[in-house]
Amino acid sequence: MRTWIERQRNIMDFTISSLWRRKGKNLALVFVYTAVVFMLASVIFFTHAIKREASLVLKEAPEMIIQRMQAGRHEIVPVSYAALIGKIRGVTSVVTRLWGYYYDPVIGANYTLLVPTDSVPEAGKISIGAGIARTRRVSPGETLEFLAFDGSVINLEIAQILSSESELLSADLMLLSSSDFTMVFGIPVDYATDITVRVRNPKELATIAAKIAKILPNTRQILRDDILRTYDALFNWRAGMMLFILAGAMLAFGIFAWDKASGLSLEERREIGILKGVGWETGDVIVMKFWEGIVISLTSFLLGVLLAYVHVFFASSVFFESALKGWSVLYPRFKLIPTLDFSQIASLFFLTVLPYTVATIIPSWRAATADPDSVMRT
Amino acid sequence: MIEVLNVKKDFNSGKPNEFRALCGINLSIAGNRITVLKGPSGSGKTTLLSLIGGMARPTSGRIMVGTREITSLPERFLTNIRRSTFGFIFQQFNLIGGLTVLENVTIPAYPLGERHSTLEKRAMRLLQAFDVAPKAASLIEWLSGGEAQRVAIARALINDPAVIIADEPTAHLDTKLSREFMEIMAGLKSKGKTLLIASHDAIVYDSPLVDRVIGLRDGKIEEP
Amino acid sequence: MIRKSSFWLVFLATAIVLFFLMFLHAWSAEKAAIRVMQKKAAMVRILALTDLCIFTEANYTRHLSQADIHTPFQDSPLSLEHFPSGSLAMPPPTIRRGYENLD
Repeated sequence: MRTWIERQRNIMDFTISSLWRRKGKNLALVFVYTAVVFMLASVIFFTHAIKREASLVLKEAPEMIIQRMQAGRHEIVPVSYAALIGKIRGVTSVVTRLWGYYYDPVIGANYTLLVPTDSVPEAGKISIGAGIARTRRVSPGETLEFLAFDGSVINLEIAQILSSESELLSADLMLLSSSDFTMVFGIPVDYATDITVRVRNPKELATIAAKIAKILPNTRQILRDDILRTYDALFNWRAGMMLFILAGAMLAFGIFAWDKASGLSLEERREIGILKGVGWETGDVIVMKFWEGIVISLTSFLLGVLLAYVHVFFASSVFFESALKGWSVLYPRFKLIPTLDFSQIASLFFLTVLPYTVATIIPSWRAATADPDSVMRT
Repeated sequence: MIEVLNVKKDFNSGKPNEFRALCGINLSIAGNRITVLKGPSGSGKTTLLSLIGGMARPTSGRIMVGTREITSLPERFLTNIRRSTFGFIFQQFNLIGGLTVLENVTIPAYPLGERHSTLEKRAMRLLQAFDVAPKAASLIEWLSGGEAQRVAIARALINDPAVIIADEPTAHLDTKLSREFMEIMAGLKSKGKTLLIASHDAIVYDSPLVDRVIGLRDGKIEEP
Repeated sequence: MIRKSSFWLVFLATAIVLFFLMFLHAWSAEKAAIRVMQKKAAMVRILALTDLCIFTEANYTRHLSQADIHTPFQDSPLSLEHFPSGSLAMPPPTIRRGYENLD
């Protein structure tokens, strides 16, 4: 056993010396390799964490939302619809929602204004999300100006800032009283933005939705399931930017492996000949090539994954900011809860370490098995 | 010590460039002597050396090293025997570039899994014996011709082999270094080693230190 | 003289230890975060929220699940894909239901 360890270590010594000879090239290779793994792993960690969070918190979303459609647009809904829906068998609660978007010209950001049904702020006061506080640089006690629908200016005082832990839900949220909401948006008193519905038996949801569609044909029904499926499909590998990232990464790994697999240089072949000439067996040469592949790929894999973990869960995925932010002015701080999916990390391992190592070993097969006397003839 | 029995070696059999390098060599090489294979290039010296050293197999015939026949051994055992019995000094030294002297000398022993510190000590002692110890940490590119020669010899000795095989060792050396080489060979002989040298350099085959000269031409032994 | 393999093996050992610590951290952080998750879920329930706040560029990027085919056009006839978030988020399943084929 001791001998086996020493043998591996000796061969490792040789491999590392050999790689170190072309220090610049190999360090650059490790750097790029690590960067690609870092990016892929960051994407995997980020999307997995967000989707997980979505599935955990959004399962408390309303079971059904009713929107009124007019001329193909989502329009405000008469409050009287709620009574009609309430008559349907199986419906346990019908609540009208008041919410809307406000564009703040001062910084060019969009806010979501919402009137809560519980703990409503007093008139004249608002609770704002941590993202708004950060982007507008305001704190409780200060006031924000709002340009109302009729051109008047409304001042609302900040009562509290919503927790920063909930930024993923509330970064752009502003909670206000219904009288202030009406003053800003001018929605008539007997109208609401949409209606939420809760039912006794979740299995009946689709049937009840169909009934609502019949009695209120100008409405659209959005089920909780639709909401959850929307977020399942978020950052899907098969779509848009993600596809490019994946394709780019696979191309990079393909290039690394191809570079290795495209055969040994004359110098490498000569060296293997020398090794065999001085007494190394075929097996020893293969082991050396194995370590050569592993040293590069395993180093890059471990470094890349560790750095990605720090990036996503300690540094709020800063490197993704410009891609995710797009044209948004208000951008949440992604304090994601660390979560790892072992199978994804394992897949990443097999995508990065395995092909490279195999690509390092295979082309040396012929040189490794050649008779050592070729070295006598050079 | 080494018996070569009716050995033939063909290259590229069946192909248009097929040729016979050795045509039935019969030879007995004595232990603890300096034996020189003399002959022009193409005479088959290198081929014979590589067959004796277990680097390749003859097309037919047998080779005995000591009491053991090496021609029919599987690769694993053959390599083992070669490692422990033979030390090679190649025509162009064939040291591995970019590595230090010490690494080059210890490489033949790496697969044996010996304790690293022991191996290193033995290597240093060899380097000291050949006066290249101060260069142990130098890259071999920085060595002079003579130093490289001595490092190559030290490498050949790392596994303490009984037989040293040298193929045209003086081909890239000047007269002074060639003579030094022969003296080192004599020194090794006095330590009990068997030396087999292939050379067409007169400094080698005419040296008084040589015990026997065997002439080779066109794959056959010349009658003396 | 420190052996070259020692350097790499030390690095490897450190990295592997850190790897395990990483899994450990994730496991314990998930456990510790249960309360935070519950609070967030409560917020969703109380405020009747339907979407995560990720892309605040436009209403249909902010509330992905509430958007339909026409919502982008409320911003501009060219709106459908002019926000970068369109390349990250697929259209919600609600779009594919309840309408006749428009093409």
